[in-house]
Amino acid sequence: MDHATPFARVFLLGLFAVIVGMVLWAQSGKRFFIRRIPGLSAIDEAVGRSAEMGRPMLASFGLGGLNAQEGVITLQALAIVSDVAEAAARFGNRVIVPVRIPALMPVAEEALREAYTRGGRPEAFQLDDLMFLSDRQFAYAAGVSGLINREKVASIFLFGTFFAEALIIAENGNRVGAVQVAGTPSTTQVPFFIAACDYVLIGDEFYAATAYLTRQPTLLGAIVGQDIGKAVLLFFILLGVVLTALNVPLVVNLFADQAVPWAEMLRPVAPAAGAGG
Amino acid sequence: MFTPKTGPELWLYIAGALLVSGVLVTSLQLVPGRLRKPLIALVTFLAGLFYIAEFFLPVDPTTRANFLTDYRAPIAQVNQVLLSFAVGVGVYSLLTLHTKNIVRRRQGWGFSVLLLAAMFGILVTGLLKEYRPNPINQAAFSLFFDGGLKSLDAAMFSIVAFYIVSAAYRAFRARSVEATILLVSASLVMLGQVSLGQGLTAGLPTSGFLSNLRVENIREWILTRASTPALLAVELGLGLGALSTSIRLWLSLERGSYFEKDV
Repeated sequence: MDHATPFARVFLLGLFAVIVGMVLWAQSGKRFFIRRIPGLSAIDEAVGRSAEMGRPMLASFGLGGLNAQEGVITLQALAIVSDVAEAAARFGNRVIVPVRIPALMPVAEEALREAYTRGGRPEAFQLDDLMFLSDRQFAYAAGVSGLINREKVASIFLFGTFFAEALIIAENGNRVGAVQVAGTPSTTQVPFFIAACDYVLIGDEFYAATAYLTRQPTLLGAIVGQDIGKAVLLFFILLGVVLTALNVPLVVNLFADQAVPWAEMLRPVAPAAGAGG
Repeated sequence: MFTPKTGPELWLYIAGALLVSGVLVTSLQLVPGRLRKPLIALVTFLAGLFYIAEFFLPVDPTTRANFLTDYRAPIAQVNQVLLSFAVGVGVYSLLTLHTKNIVRRRQGWGFSVLLLAAMFGILVTGLLKEYRPNPINQAAFSLFFDGGLKSLDAAMFSIVAFYIVSAAYRAFRARSVEATILLVSASLVMLGQVSLGQGLTAGLPTSGFLSNLRVENIREWILTRASTPALLAVELGLGLGALSTSIRLWLSLERGSYFEKDV
């Protein structure tokens, strides 16, 4: 869909209003509940293990950059890693952060420096631990795998956009016995992470991570807003199933890529030419 | 919308762009600390507003575009140009880290020498190939790029096949009910994918109730009736999560982590 259809305009603006409304409600003092997410509860365990073993941690933002398609994912990953680094600073751990996109370097440097400051140990931040490896996918994977094996990292955090290198990195982490927590919106890589990592954030848990870790009212409000949106979409899916079974394509037409005239919304779909049996 | 410039006009544009950038950067440096955050929020809002307005504003039915659509490509190019400036940051990071490794004789410093030699080798041969094209320069570049980088890329990619086997071995151990369901489903999908597996149920009829028990039909059912809907449900949640996070970032409502840092 290149441009919004009349229905998409109403629907998306409605979702927008609900999310912003919930954020503002949360900011005015309303306390929202968020369920336990095992993958995120495991972060402290992984950080603690790293401190006990006296070995560093490794965090990767994956291959995503700051462009329109991946920017939100990368910023979310950066926010999660920033919280991980804060916990690491409290325990006095090293966090090695290999980067694939050069544009992320200054942003990540500021985020990590700030995280160590929040963790009470600004002097523990080592700039050499934040490193650009390569912008080529498999050169990056080879570099991260090398770091995992050389440094014998105790815990690994993989958040962001991943492709075929996901399994290379996660299997190397598994080989050195690191506790691994991963989260990615790249649904094709989730099975590989599940096979190779100890904890995996699936689906929108990735976007709920910062709300869960910081318990900031604004973030919790946004999560509630998106859950309301999910309930509304679920309603439309169920309505669509029932109406389509009755050969009334209302919901299909409402959510179509191209605008369907209102007068034709309820017109039953004619059987496709040649369809039989 | 914009035509490529050549000759003196090009240099005039470059000089103008440098001048405007210099003025802009200097002005930003002079902005008082308390105003920097609102300024960033304003720029973020305006940048996001362009894409949102372009998406929501009604379009001409014949051209399927509105008055903002023509600006999408140039704005995306500006974005690309800004991001490409950061390549220097990456090169600087590589140079400082590996130079330190060599100077301090850290463990594995020989690899740092190799990395810097390869980096400068591909840079020099790449420039020579572009500006002094001759068979020797082209062969030198090809040695680094096709013979080195591309082959190493392919080698790393091929490793994925071995890792899939080791990961699948661990994932397919029937340690729990869920793992057993995964094992059985995956085995059926794999059997249904290959002719050897399909041969196991080749004796069953191709139509009627019993055809449902043919392994290729079971595979099809698992993929289209179980796996795909679950994947779509996950993607629905992801889409809403991305929307919610984008709205927070766009309106500068994001809190926690590094977003509350003073600038």
